[in-house]
Amino acid sequence: MACIDRASPALKQILLKLYRDSSSLIYSAEKSIEIDHHLYEFGSVEYHIQSQASNPLVAYLSLSIPPLCHGTLPNTLSSYTIEKIKGICPNLVEIEEPAREGFQLTLKLNLDHIPRNKDYVKVIEDISTIQSVILSSQLKEILWNVNSDDAVQGMYKPIKVVYHPREPFFVIRQPQKIIAIFPIRFKENSDVIIATAFFQELVDVGNSDKWIKTPPCSWSAIPPPELRGEAFEDLNTNGGFVSFEISSRHVEGNRLDKTVWNLLNFNANVRYHVKSTKGFIHRRMRKRLENLVQVLHQTNSEENEQTKQVKKHQGCRYTKKLVKSSKHTMKQRWRTLGRKIKRIPFRLKIHGFTRFRQRWLRFPKFSSTKYTKLE
Amino acid sequence: MGSTLRLYLTCIRNTLHAAMCLQNFPCQEVERHNKPEVELKSSPELLLNPVVICRNEAEKCLIETSINSLRISLKVKQADELENILTKKFLRFLSMRAEAFQVLRRKPVQGYDISFLITNYHCEEMQKQKLIDFIVQFMEDIDKEISELKMSVNTRGRLVATEFLKQFI
Repeated sequence: MACIDRASPALKQILLKLYRDSSSLIYSAEKSIEIDHHLYEFGSVEYHIQSQASNPLVAYLSLSIPPLCHGTLPNTLSSYTIEKIKGICPNLVEIEEPAREGFQLTLKLNLDHIPRNKDYVKVIEDISTIQSVILSSQLKEILWNVNSDDAVQGMYKPIKVVYHPREPFFVIRQPQKIIAIFPIRFKENSDVIIATAFFQELVDVGNSDKWIKTPPCSWSAIPPPELRGEAFEDLNTNGGFVSFEISSRHVEGNRLDKTVWNLLNFNANVRYHVKSTKGFIHRRMRKRLENLVQVLHQTNSEENEQTKQVKKHQGCRYTKKLVKSSKHTMKQRWRTLGRKIKRIPFRLKIHGFTRFRQRWLRFPKFSSTKYTKLE
Repeated sequence: MGSTLRLYLTCIRNTLHAAMCLQNFPCQEVERHNKPEVELKSSPELLLNPVVICRNEAEKCLIETSINSLRISLKVKQADELENILTKKFLRFLSMRAEAFQVLRRKPVQGYDISFLITNYHCEEMQKQKLIDFIVQFMEDIDKEISELKMSVNTRGRLVATEFLKQFI
């Protein structure tokens, strides 16, 4: 699913095409063409990729991304975020100042600095992860720069993080851990039930001994106590609240990026699971329907075969009867005819004719069972 | 549990065996029309007393008989919300494809999950004993399928949860 991958697939495809076209121009005398693409992706992100015909080895990538947390973070990118962006591919990527109109960031990509060996795919993939780098650094800043004034009796105020406009989640900083709470909302009741079943499995698996290293998670139908005082529209849900407790071991080293990206995409993962479960149920129902119908048709076909066999036997008997009766009647008819011929009075009496008539004027007996083979 | 199911199915089988004595009977009200009287219920003299066979509060079977048709309505057990939605989805799926089953009704009777309508024409085309066997087997298969679906959904959820949590390690 595109929104769960760190690298934007559409951006990656366009940059790969740009790189291959620029490589082919070096070795051939083809005329270069201008490229101007606008991309809109999940999370209200807008990309603008531009390449001019006069300089095909340079491309400009502009990015517009709303801040994760309105009010806490400014609209422009912080210095920490810019440092992270510069660290993607230092030889290749330069930040243009000022950014293009309507965008927060414009990068100049020097395509001739991309290695010509097989690594070029990895380099372009790293550039395509720019959105995830910005979001991760913004979330890290939120977690690190929590104002101590916000702490009330040791409890920090919940920070509302908005990755998708209709799916905000809350991050609450505590002395030993950070709690991320996701209010879950679905339009259909069946989605809520499938998601609830999933959350129960998630809690069971997360609390087992084998997965003790993962952040402990819990689910509740009512808002947890940490969210008391938040706006009603944020706490009004039909799918309950899922909480993750992030401790220091989950944010050490490389795990920080993974943890941050997983938290940002938790809602998207849940929705994808619900959608694919519904598809799975549908496929299974269709298969079951075929099996049930097959049983009924098999029963019908067995019945049809039985009736055919019965009719066939009846037919055989009928023809046998017909043949038998026809033989019998034929014989009877021959006999009666013979008797009639014998009784015919002849006006002329010929001596010895009676004997001749009795001996020679007989109808031959035909037996259908015996036959003589003609050689 | 298994023994109560056997008794329930045996009772339904025997009742169907007794009730499935259908014959052709043209409509008394409209000339040259032939309608299943169990659906119309316009002439009480053509209807027999309906029979309800209950296994428990959640599972029951209603058998309504008339001179030329028989209607069987089933209420399938639904232990929790997940079974509830799976049963609704599955039986609605089957009902929408009722023409494949011939004896299945497109819409279940109110208060029940699925209904069959058997007419004298079905009894002429198909054997009575096979029809009864099909209906009893259908009831067993539905229960089995709903249980398997529920288990599959939970297994999928568990696998997805495992994969999600792996990413934190």
